[in-house]
Formats: sequence, C-alpha cells, structure tokens
Amino acid sequence: MSNSIVYRDVSMTFGRGASAVQALSATNFGIGDQEFLMIVGPSGCGKSTLLHITAGLLRPSTGEVLLDGKPVTGPGPDKALVFQNFSLFPWKTVWDNIEFGLRINGVDRADRSERVAKYIRLTGLAGFERHYPRQLSGGMQQRVALARSFVMRPRVLLMDEPFAALDAQNRTLMQEELVRIWSEQRAAVLFITHAVEEAVYLADRVIVMSRRPGTIKEVIDVNAATGPGHWRDRPLNDVASEPRFQELRHRVWDSVRSEITTHEDA
Amino acid sequence: MTATKILRLVVPCTALVLFALAWWAATDALRLVSPFVLPSPGDVLGGLARVSRGYMGSTLLDHLIASMSVMLSGFALALVIGIPLGVAMAWFPLVDRLFGPLVAVLRPIPPPAWIPLAILWFGIGLSGRTFIVFVAALVPVLVNSYVGVREVPQNVIAAARTLGANQRVLLTEVVLPAAAPVIFTGMRISVGVAWATIVAAELVVAERGFGFLIMSGYRNFEAEIMAGGMLIIAAIGALMNVAFLLVERRVLRWNAGDSRDV
Repeated sequence: MSNSIVYRDVSMTFGRGASAVQALSATNFGIGDQEFLMIVGPSGCGKSTLLHITAGLLRPSTGEVLLDGKPVTGPGPDKALVFQNFSLFPWKTVWDNIEFGLRINGVDRADRSERVAKYIRLTGLAGFERHYPRQLSGGMQQRVALARSFVMRPRVLLMDEPFAALDAQNRTLMQEELVRIWSEQRAAVLFITHAVEEAVYLADRVIVMSRRPGTIKEVIDVNAATGPGHWRDRPLNDVASEPRFQELRHRVWDSVRSEITTHEDA
Repeated sequence: MTATKILRLVVPCTALVLFALAWWAATDALRLVSPFVLPSPGDVLGGLARVSRGYMGSTLLDHLIASMSVMLSGFALALVIGIPLGVAMAWFPLVDRLFGPLVAVLRPIPPPAWIPLAILWFGIGLSGRTFIVFVAALVPVLVNSYVGVREVPQNVIAAARTLGANQRVLLTEVVLPAAAPVIFTGMRISVGVAWATIVAAELVVAERGFGFLIMSGYRNFEAEIMAGGMLIIAAIGALMNVAFLLVERRVLRWNAGDSRDV
C-alpha cells in the first residue's frame, strides 16, 4: 500500500524560552492511500496538534508533512477537517453549508447542485435542506459536517473526535454511516478519538500516543486481527461480543491507561 | 402556552393603564398636585393638540422632521464609519494598534460633553447637531462590531479555511455573517443613544425639534407642553426599538432563539 501522507520529523513546540511547551516530539510515520487510521491517547498528548498540522492550519516547529509527495503549506479542500461540534455555518441552511466549499472553489452551478444533492441523500439529510443548523439535533449537525467534507472529495479526511459530543446510540449510528459513505468514496482517514472501542471498530491501524510530549507509543494492526472482512463492515453490536475484538480492545485500552496513570503519578 | 402568552401581553398593558389612571386620579380627579407641577393627562393631550396646530412657529410634523433628519444622518454616518472600522480593528492587528488607543481615550467622554465643542466647530446649524449624534452613535456600533468579529468561533473560521476560503471570502462570507447578530445589537443600542443625544443637543441649541419643544414649554411655564414633548420622544424611541427588533428577527432568521419552525 502506497502512502498518501508522510510525516518527516514533525514536531511542535508552543511558546518560547522558559514557558515553551513541547506538544509533539519528532514524529515519523505514513498513512496509506485509503487507510483508516485511528489515533488514541491521553488528553494533551498532541493528537489535535498533529491533526491541525496535517490540515495545514498549524505550521510544525520542525519537519514537514507530505501529501502525495508535496509538502503541506496551508489549509485547502484536499484536506477536509471535521470538528467535534460548533463548526457549521449557523447562518447558512443545510444545503448552503454543504455547497459552500464547492462554490468558493468555482465549481459551476449544475455540478454543485448534483453533488450537494448526492451527499444530502448519502448522509440521510433529505427533507432538511432548508433547515438551519440550530434546528437540527447534534447527530444531524454532524451529518451535515460529514457531507460538507465528503462533498469536496478530499484526498484525506481529518476527524477531530467528531462523534464525542453524541450520545451512545447516535455515536454508533454515525460510525456505521461514516463507514458506508467512506466505502463509496475511499480516502485516507486520520481519526482522533478518546473512545477505544470506536478506534478498534473503525481502524485499519490504531496508533497509541504517549502523554506529552506526544510520541507514537505503539502501532496496532487491526487488519491483521480481523482477517478478511473487516469488523467495520458489520454492525458494531454484532462485532462487540467477538473474543478477538474484545481482546484487541483490552490491549489498546491497557496501552492508553498506562499513559494516563503514569501521567497522574508524575 | 397560550396562557403564558396572554399573561405576557396582558400584565404589561394593565400596568400601563393603572399607571395612567393613577396619574389622572392624582391630577384631575383628586387634585393632589398643582397643574403647574404635574399637568393632567387631559391637559397634556390638549397641549399636544396645540403643538400639532403649530407652536413657536413649527407644527408637530416640523419638529418631527427636524429631530429625525439630524438623528438619522448622524446615525447613518456612525454606521458607515463605525462598522468598517470596528471590523477592521478586530481583523487586522495593525488597524487595532492604530485606532485602539484613540477609541479608548475618546470612549468615556459622555456625548453631551461634545455639544459646546461641536457648536464651536460647526455652528448651531444642522452639521453641529449631526456631529454630536454621530459621536454618540459611533461608540456602541464600533464596539459591538469589534466584539462580534472577535467572538466568531475559531472552529468556524478553521472550517472555512480548510474548505478553501481565502481572506476575502473569509471576511465577507464567514466573519461578517457570523458577527451580524452582535453588530445588529450594537446598531439598535446606537439608535437609542442617537435619539437621546439629539434631544439633549436640541435642549441647548435649536429652533425646532422635540428638545426645543420641551425647552420652549419650560420657558413659557407650560408643563403640559414639556410632558407632551417627553411622551412623544418616548413613543418614537420605543417604536424605533421595536422596528429594529422586527428587522433583526427578519434578517437574522437563522439566529431566532426559540422557534424551531422558521
């Protein structure tokens, strides 16, 4: 599998001198062309920093991120970012939110309408086109956020705990929806979460990060454990009771927990 | 639901009627106070009727046009300068550093304190009063434009940038609409301040307008003219506030607090 994203010695230090805080120590790894990569780790381990650097919103202190061999120099529609919440344009309708990126990138009207309609259908938002975000539930709002990102046909989809604010049922539902949309439109996914189960269910590989300054502590190959036919292609409810799933979930959780407890001892 | 709606409407209306009754009782019915100190409701209505036919050379409409035209031109000038300046200060650090200290120094000066200087600079005509209204109306709209832009959520800006928004698109299509509710509130406060200030300016120097009307009543020992002028000022101020709220609700439908069925 060829890599679409490569991190070369990427590190991040905030502030200068005595008050400088290193959020991320030199990081090297790659994300496959159509790989679903999940990152878990304790709070403040630099997960979000890594994501924002990848999006081009932050410039790393050292090193560089390569997307298809070219250095990332700024944000753009090839690197879509989905936030935890409150990132929709509240003054725009569902339709206009999803259309925004296409319009400002000069996609013509007919093409726009077709693509927006397609993703409204895919995300189950039909009938809500003229609603404003605040008229929608949290789950529906995140569907709009997903559609707004997917409609740009990004090379990489960056997700910053997108389902963390949802209740358990909605979260499971949205995970399955995400897999369904992603299966139709493969892109590299870099997905950050606190939820170990979510990570093991969705990922091709799970990266566990250490506490600050963040480093890659462990890379867990979920594909090797699932064999042919990934867990994510079946409902979470069916998968969750499987011994291999539980075993892997424990392994990831133990790895994360040791980071949290050492942090508290320190 | 309907019961609370009725309560919300009936209680304030009843309170107003009771207040008017108490006023009538204290003056006309029981004669507790002298009509030179507090004229009765009937006297005030009579005074207003006299003014509408013409008082000190101007009709009620003349006074209205005089006060309104100055108020609106000062307010419009405040919008034209205040909104772009406030937005620019919030968005461009250099503009903030240039104008920030000036705004901080001039802001605490109460608008009426400008009246003598304005007369010195512009004379007692229209431009002097327009300047006073402008100075008063500028502050709320400027401050709210600044705060509104500063408070646009970082997520919203970051989302627009990752979708490919350049600086121009970011400012015109993301930051300004996001800040619009706060800017609108600033405009509404500005209208109220502008109205209050023009009346204050007319108290000092004018040959027509509502402030002039009240002052003439004072000079002629006609309390019913003073009270009538105040009533009209209050009514117009309240009407403008309501009109602004209605426009706000219409323009900013997406921000409507309680209605899920826009």
